[in-house]
Amino acid sequence: MREQAAGVPQDTAPPRALTATMGALLGIDDPAHARAVATRLDALCAGFPLAARAGLHAGAGLFDAAAVLLTGRRLDRLDAGQRDAVCRVVAARPAVAALVDALKMPALLASGAPGPPSRPAIVRPDPELDCVPAGEWPACGTADAVVIGSGAGGAMVARELARAGLSVVIAEEGRRFGVADFRDRTPAERFGELYRDGGATAALGLPPVLLPLGRAVGGSTLVNSGTCYRPPAQVLERWRRHAGVGLVDRFDDLVPEVERTLRVAEQPMDVLGRNGLLALRGAERLGWQAGPLRRNAPGCGGCCQCAVGCPRNAKNGVHLNALPQACAAGARIVSELRVDRVLVERGRAAGITARRPDGTRVEILSPLVVVAAGATETPPLLRRSGLGGHPHVGRNLALHPAVSLAGRFAEPVESWRGVLQSVGIEQLHGEGILLEATAAPPGMGTFVLPGVGSGLRAEIDGSAHLATLGAMIADAPSGRVHGSGRALLRYRLARRDERTLRAAMCAIGEVLFAAGATEVLTGLARHPRAADMAQLRRIAEQVPPGQLHLAAFHPSGSARMGADARTSPVDAGGRLRGVHGVYVADASVLPSCPTVNPQITIMAMALAIAESVVRDAG
Amino acid sequence: MTVTTRRHTTFSEVMAAPGDRDCRLELDVAVPEVLHPLADVRADLRGRVRIPGLADDPHASGSLHIAPLTRRRIRYRLTFTALDGRVLHLDGWKSIDLRHPVRSMTTLPATVTDGAGTVVMEVLLRFHLRRDLWPMLRTFRLPSPTRTSRDRLAPRWNGEPGRLEVWYTTLTDPATGTGFWVHHELVAPAGGGTPYLHGWAAAFPPAEAPAFTRFGPHDWQPPRPGHVLETPGAIATADRLTGSAGDIDWDLRAETASGPLFTFPRWAWDTGLLPGAQIVPQPAARFHGTIRHGGRAVRLEGAPGATAHIYGHGNARRWAWLHADLGGGDVAEVVAAVSTRPGLRRLPPLPFVRLRVEGRDWPGGDTLLAALRLRAEIDLPTWRVWGRIGDHRLRIEVTQPPEATVAVDYADPDGSAAVCRNSERADAHVLLERRSGGRWRPFREWHLFGTAHAEVGGRA
Repeated sequence: MREQAAGVPQDTAPPRALTATMGALLGIDDPAHARAVATRLDALCAGFPLAARAGLHAGAGLFDAAAVLLTGRRLDRLDAGQRDAVCRVVAARPAVAALVDALKMPALLASGAPGPPSRPAIVRPDPELDCVPAGEWPACGTADAVVIGSGAGGAMVARELARAGLSVVIAEEGRRFGVADFRDRTPAERFGELYRDGGATAALGLPPVLLPLGRAVGGSTLVNSGTCYRPPAQVLERWRRHAGVGLVDRFDDLVPEVERTLRVAEQPMDVLGRNGLLALRGAERLGWQAGPLRRNAPGCGGCCQCAVGCPRNAKNGVHLNALPQACAAGARIVSELRVDRVLVERGRAAGITARRPDGTRVEILSPLVVVAAGATETPPLLRRSGLGGHPHVGRNLALHPAVSLAGRFAEPVESWRGVLQSVGIEQLHGEGILLEATAAPPGMGTFVLPGVGSGLRAEIDGSAHLATLGAMIADAPSGRVHGSGRALLRYRLARRDERTLRAAMCAIGEVLFAAGATEVLTGLARHPRAADMAQLRRIAEQVPPGQLHLAAFHPSGSARMGADARTSPVDAGGRLRGVHGVYVADASVLPSCPTVNPQITIMAMALAIAESVVRDAG
Repeated sequence: MTVTTRRHTTFSEVMAAPGDRDCRLELDVAVPEVLHPLADVRADLRGRVRIPGLADDPHASGSLHIAPLTRRRIRYRLTFTALDGRVLHLDGWKSIDLRHPVRSMTTLPATVTDGAGTVVMEVLLRFHLRRDLWPMLRTFRLPSPTRTSRDRLAPRWNGEPGRLEVWYTTLTDPATGTGFWVHHELVAPAGGGTPYLHGWAAAFPPAEAPAFTRFGPHDWQPPRPGHVLETPGAIATADRLTGSAGDIDWDLRAETASGPLFTFPRWAWDTGLLPGAQIVPQPAARFHGTIRHGGRAVRLEGAPGATAHIYGHGNARRWAWLHADLGGGDVAEVVAAVSTRPGLRRLPPLPFVRLRVEGRDWPGGDTLLAALRLRAEIDLPTWRVWGRIGDHRLRIEVTQPPEATVAVDYADPDGSAAVCRNSERADAHVLLERRSGGRWRPFREWHLFGTAHAEVGGRA
């Protein structure tokens, strides 16, 4: 009898090769357990793009084929030792190592024990939202302004426009999640629903960069870490001086307003967790500037589930503040509505045309359209609308890429107990490196445990002794968003950024070793461990850039704003050039990498752009 | 009424919900320019909104923004009254997709909202190509600048000999039941004689013999500005009729809110291609004033009536006419006639029928084409018109009581004599049926007892 994987529909059995590969890769001896993991993985990858799904099954087939070639029998007919041997042979091939790593990430996520959903006390109930699914929204509607996207940028613009007396409709592609959704389902299930492409979005390049993007009413603020850095003064000065963005002069007033909206405060020490405390200890011993992060999560209980929706409603995503405030001022949210095009007539915005999940069309006529679909979705939307003619639409994509290392400590760390992103180490921020102690529930972090088979199983079993630390680097805008339907992201790591990443790896190592780590896990397939700083430096210097494990969470700049019409598709007031009545108010307008977690920056910029919209509307 | 200086476009269209023909829009569109594919124009919209269980308002009005290529949109906005008295708004548009031109040009999703903007319901309407395209195309008109009722009353005669032009007003006082008829006639003899004006007036008091008196003839003089015609005995302007003849005096003021009703096709009136044509510039007028006859005075306050206008070569060989005020601004106008022209005189009577029901003229197309499917039987005291118009069946029966009928002799421009028997106390039965469920079912029906205005004429 098949084991029932908790919370996963059991309509179809997972493919045999996938089940066998999960068992072999994760060192699972019990076939029923392997089948349960494969089932969960199958369900998880249902939301992946077709290519990722095909790649996953191809990877599983590769292991099975290798078993047939090497032993004459299929993988699930081998005993544990033989399976391990096959895995090691496959993973040892340099050309296949990246594929194995790509397979391990969703496998680790699916293998995370489903367990009972956590039900900590709720800090605040879900607020009232005038939010209807697209199926209940009329096919023809009108508004004074349509805001595309309900994330950090869209929510703030919608709120300000509604407060200015305009009738505002917010079109959001994702669905609305309430706190019950985050309490009744396992993290793995929520992960598949909350993220675009099931969390499998990546920017292609060498190395590829994993780029998880939230998709829900509230956008990525539902799944971010809650870290709230103010925009650095040097960055604002650069935007003012080099890009001619005068709106940053309003930031002195607008940033405090955003912080009030989000109720930003320094994270209390009691829920930091040992992961954060170790980071603080390491920084202190090095004499580096560090401290608990400022977050928008008063009442956070440290359950470490920020990335899959806060089960306590403690983290103040915009769905808990700006969006309810916008609705109180008269704005309406339409969820599960994917915008096809911005309608333009005679050079002026005329509204939007969009699709419901069942494929039927919705049109909302409006003389004002604010695009806040995010840095990866705004350029394709503009192109679909015939507004992507500016040569810099889709260019200048900065990702703020991150590398993550883990330190093994003698004492248990249990990094998943405590705040997900707890401590910031800003010692090297001037060099473009921002260190943040970031943990995640098992399988959900971007750090990949080394090994395959029984080796990986041992690492999983010993992961309670690992502390993880990440570093984000201020990168050059070297990415690009292609396409007009589905976004195709390309990212070429700049030489300077490559050097910064290597330095960032060393900086993480220094903190971890200073905190008492006995070894550092690099996450690199060929050089997974460093016993001391010297070895880590050697690894960092020698690892080919294509083998780096990068993840990014803060794409920006793909429709940047600026005074120079030749290089900036959006003018210094947030207006899209070449058309009247279309504004852009999301991370894509940021002229360069914000160098910190950008939520406050995006929201303050959206507020400034909203002022511009209201001024233009008269 | 808006007066434009350019040629404009009018047409009527019907859209219904798929599978529920009772949920429909019946619309008259007045475009202030000649419609063309690159148009980006706002047109006036009037008509009926019928949504089962919600509304059935024949007086809906709004606008139509026609921009199929320039904006890829045809947007309908209507304000109407619901069954429960609420004022509702319908807003919807056809989004033109050049990859699917037919589907997108015939599909109208629309949203109905109340005054507060709350969505009451959504409707999806379709223009049924096979059923409704031809009827719509037949209603397309490119009329010259809009002419008002006043314009349509102005004399047509341009000095040509052999022409006859008639203005006649009929009304019934609802208080006393008295009918009043005043007839003005300009005759330009065919031989080039002096044109002259003459006329007659008649009162039809209930249960009494009609009173009849003539005035004129007088040599025709061009009317003063603002006047339709002028004789020593009678003066007519667009909104005032005064006169005195025998023991009948009248001083009437007309109020009219609706536009002319074209019993004969508009082109026939404008071009004069037919031997004669009749229109009703004031089809549903309300008259105020006084009529005196036989020493009695009848004070009128909003008496329903109409003023018609005829221009042609002379009286028909045989004819029948009906004006029926159906109430609520609805009227029925019928002219069935046999021409005097050689060849045509052998044809049966050709019935021209035009109803104005709930603000819409029916049939919407050319009444000459519609007449081809109708039959008439002209007789006294009862005459009939029947036949099919579109998917409707029409039957009109008129009875003129002999005791309430006056016979009037006429002389045509060519000198031939005609006689006409007129009554303002006729009975009329108008029945409109529609095919449904395999049989004809009554759609609309009106009975008029003693208030229909009718005449039957022929050669003396």
